[in-house]
Amino acid sequence: MRTKFRYVAAAFGLTASLALAGCAAAAPEASDSIVIDTAFTLETSDPGRNYVPTGYMVSKALYETLLDFAGSDESTPVDGLASYESNEDATAFTFTLKDGRVFSDGSAITAEDVVFSLNRVAGMTESKANFLMNGITVTKIDDMTVELSTETPSLKLPALMTNPSLAILNSALVIENGGTTDDSDAAEAFLNETSAGSGPYILDTVNFESQVVLTENENYNGDEDIDFTRVVIRNVSEAATQKINLEGDDSQVAVDLSGDQVASLSDGINVFSTPSAQTIFLLINQSEEVGGVTSNPDFANAVRYALDYPALLELAGAGSEQATGVIPPSFLGALESGVEQDLDAAAASLDASGYDGESITLEYPNDYPVGGVSFTPLAERIQSQLADAGITIELAPAPFTTQIDSYVNGTEAFSIWFWGPDYADSANFLPFSAGQKVGLRAGWTAEQDSDVVNLAAAAENATNFDERETAFSNFAEALQQRGPFVPLIVPGSNIATASYIDGVAYNSTWTMDIAELQAK
Amino acid sequence: MRTRWLKIPAAWITPLGVIGAVIAITWVGIAFTARLWVPFDPLSQDLPRLQAPGIDTLMGTDALGRDIFSRLMTGASVTIPLALMLVLMSLAVGTLIGAIAGYFGKWVDELLMRLTDLVMAFPTVILAMVVAAALGPSLFNAVIAAFVVSWPQYARMTRSIVLGLRTQNYVMAGRLMGFSPFKTLRVDIAPNVVGPILVLASLDVGTAILLLSGLSFLGLGAQPPTAEWGSMISAAIQNFDSWWIGLFPGLAILTVVMAFNFVGDSLRDIFDPTSQVSRAGARS
Repeated sequence: MRTKFRYVAAAFGLTASLALAGCAAAAPEASDSIVIDTAFTLETSDPGRNYVPTGYMVSKALYETLLDFAGSDESTPVDGLASYESNEDATAFTFTLKDGRVFSDGSAITAEDVVFSLNRVAGMTESKANFLMNGITVTKIDDMTVELSTETPSLKLPALMTNPSLAILNSALVIENGGTTDDSDAAEAFLNETSAGSGPYILDTVNFESQVVLTENENYNGDEDIDFTRVVIRNVSEAATQKINLEGDDSQVAVDLSGDQVASLSDGINVFSTPSAQTIFLLINQSEEVGGVTSNPDFANAVRYALDYPALLELAGAGSEQATGVIPPSFLGALESGVEQDLDAAAASLDASGYDGESITLEYPNDYPVGGVSFTPLAERIQSQLADAGITIELAPAPFTTQIDSYVNGTEAFSIWFWGPDYADSANFLPFSAGQKVGLRAGWTAEQDSDVVNLAAAAENATNFDERETAFSNFAEALQQRGPFVPLIVPGSNIATASYIDGVAYNSTWTMDIAELQAK
Repeated sequence: MRTRWLKIPAAWITPLGVIGAVIAITWVGIAFTARLWVPFDPLSQDLPRLQAPGIDTLMGTDALGRDIFSRLMTGASVTIPLALMLVLMSLAVGTLIGAIAGYFGKWVDELLMRLTDLVMAFPTVILAMVVAAALGPSLFNAVIAAFVVSWPQYARMTRSIVLGLRTQNYVMAGRLMGFSPFKTLRVDIAPNVVGPILVLASLDVGTAILLLSGLSFLGLGAQPPTAEWGSMISAAIQNFDSWWIGLFPGLAILTVVMAFNFVGDSLRDIFDPTSQVSRAGARS
């Protein structure tokens, strides 16, 4: 009898334990540590050499820049380690460091550190981030003041100074470990083991294939008030696995979920969906030799007005928006509204183009989803919509590595591609101009549209922000009306977190600021 | 009585053979008639996206709002005829080469068999991928790629049979009567080759379907928006949560491959009674 009682008691105890464990799993609670799952693009933790998204996310947590962006608003830089003023013709920018700020070893941040850090990037010609300092001269004014000057007006400079590649390093420490301001710099090995910045976190361990561990910077005296003192960033390449990990409380943040995946997330998960800065567009080659009938501007207009943009947007899921132009919505000069389908206008343009029913090949990379948008279903829907408008399309998918060469060399007549900014400024979209990098990929030479060339030059050389915004809007409008590009979709960025985490703000460069994650 | 009406000897009717034949014939029937009765246009994108299987859409819809059931059925009309055509092409070319090599021997045999060895030296799928990638991705090129790797096994088998038959007395008698080499091959040797080759061909239909679907899965066969089983499974990877997109094409491939294998096994039993006896022995 007693034995039977023991068995019953043991079974009851086991059941109670499992029930408690189940409750714990069902309602995860905040702790000081979080795990972030993302598909790694990480080559180095030296900020001056980094030029990939995961690296930016890590650098943003470890280092600070002269200027910053507030939350997701990338239209106007705000103060970071310094405040700034510019002269009237936007060629000289004076940065004044905030008093009392220190690096993680407790030493003060001075103008020497700024000059060294920026000149280091300018001097490392093999660094992919080197171009950010092109044409910028750095001069120390006093211990707390630095002047950055350019030959021509450069209102994009403040936005450049938010880029984590231009983070301010502890110059004494970096120089001691091989840092220089030319190609002989040998500090990367040191910076891959130890951080030398003033951000809210310091580098604990790093493995570029698997995970990065950050811990709290005890000497941090900036504005961020971090809730999580230990952050593990894991390399989880499959978005489906990120979703499973998050739902199973194996991780607390999933960075790369698609619109369809966040729609099917279980209850109790927070989702932050916002348009990214990528633009997916159709390229219609203007070179007769390459494109034949596609080189007729009326053909581009026929395609532009034949498409049903909301039906294309349906494929992109949460957070996505119709591309209103080559400049995405969060950037200066972005247009308010995009093209609407007009089948009559499409038919008229098609008649004027000389199109005679021939099959046009649509090329696209079929193994490279952008913001969760896979190009194959997008191409199939475009094919279906253009067929309704009388344009016969044959699909020609190929792997990214196969397709990229013909895109870059401008030998594709009709294709789907994407463009993302290198830094948070609308100047990133000027390469779409006639005669510029992306324009030439579409066979669009400067001679073919000198008006657009002039509009691009006006945007590039504007000396005040109002004038600049107007110039960029005019540029985007002109491309929307007669350019060889049909902007389709700005895919969403979907970041999902455990229910107790808040504060996610998407940024086109560093994806999200880990220090801004807060426990509810 | 029914057996006599169908003129099928009772010994030929095995459970697996019957099941396989019924499934295979059903799929072949679907392949040639699907376009007439499927409920939706397989290319139409009018239905709600990623809809789970239900009353309106028997097998759900894909990421573009296309009916999976309609695409699956019309996909049969792409995959199965091409697989049958591939097997017929391989059978015709492989058998001819094998017969010539086996009958004429000497340098002809050496030349043709070294060519066969050359093809067989490469892993089948890898060689098919290389050929398909070199020719460019399309269904037609996938069939050519699959053909390049499929014919040698027929050549090998035919040669081995012909080598054994060409010195038989009845073959020699035919030659002494003045039969030309090709008449000898046609009249005296071919009837003895047909059985084993048919068994191989029926077993090979499943392999051909797997190979063509595999090439389409890798993007080297059917191109979008063609409804093809391998490319349908490939599309399912992008929507891993919507299990129905990949499950049904996978089941279709499974059933049709198993069916043709069952038929092939039964044919082998018919043409090679020793295998039937050995099975019966094992059972007893």
